[in-house]
Amino acid sequence: MIINHPLLGPRDAAEFVVKGDANLINRPDWQADDAAQQFYEYAYLRDNPAGEHRELWYHEQGDRSWLVVTRNTLTHEVTKVELARDVARAAGRSA
Amino acid sequence: MPDFTLTPTSPLKGFDKQFGDIRLREVTDQAILSLATPLGGETALKAAVGSAWGLEMPAPGRSSRADDGKVHLLGLGADQIFILKPHDHLQPDAPVREALNGAGYATDQSDVWAMLEITGPGLRRALERICPLDLHPDAFPVGAVARTMMEHMGAIILRSGEDAFILLAASSSAGSFLHAVETSLNWTAP
Repeated sequence: MIINHPLLGPRDAAEFVVKGDANLINRPDWQADDAAQQFYEYAYLRDNPAGEHRELWYHEQGDRSWLVVTRNTLTHEVTKVELARDVARAAGRSA
Repeated sequence: MPDFTLTPTSPLKGFDKQFGDIRLREVTDQAILSLATPLGGETALKAAVGSAWGLEMPAPGRSSRADDGKVHLLGLGADQIFILKPHDHLQPDAPVREALNGAGYATDQSDVWAMLEITGPGLRRALERICPLDLHPDAFPVGAVARTMMEHMGAIILRSGEDAFILLAASSSAGSFLHAVETSLNWTAP
């Protein structure tokens, strides 16, 4: 599988480590009234879609960047690769 | 005082060997430094690099080299620069810090890397067997650089000429890395 890194171009998936659901970026607010419930869901509940899925990948044998890879779990087709930094910033989670 | 003296030695003990037309040798006269950008200091560092060496900050995957060959900047990723320069100072980071006047954080990395130079026609046949990247000149032209892995070992590869590459690998596993390159050359050298 080839992952088309937004900065570095096409790279072999062997250079990466997969972390799992990209929803891990959306860490709940610890001061919310229902923080315990939100963290329970954040830590333990995952969608397991048959089809398009967004995952966090870490470019360990490369520039050590975190990526959000949109991948079809049925075909392994990679349709989108973004820097996790940009995704987090777009969601207002990072300066 | 103890009655012995210490002599410096390089990770590969100055390896130098010919494989047909291809030469593989250890480079021992280069210092390797990382250059980090202070938070929010991108513009200042860019200006300092320009005035110190007359160089552009390289984009990820590209390198820029001073005309006199004394400074070589490698763009390894976003805000990740490595510097190659002649190892002519006991503390190679000192003159770099001085030249940049506080606009960047330079850290000496020389001792943790082993550096190999491979030159000669047809060397791509050996490298393409151990390097996962496309090394065709259209995809990886002169001056291109990448941090990747070869034979499960982290490595940096730089195309220094049409038929010349620089390979950097961890000094702790330099022997295994050299063995991988040597084996590939033995299989492919004419």
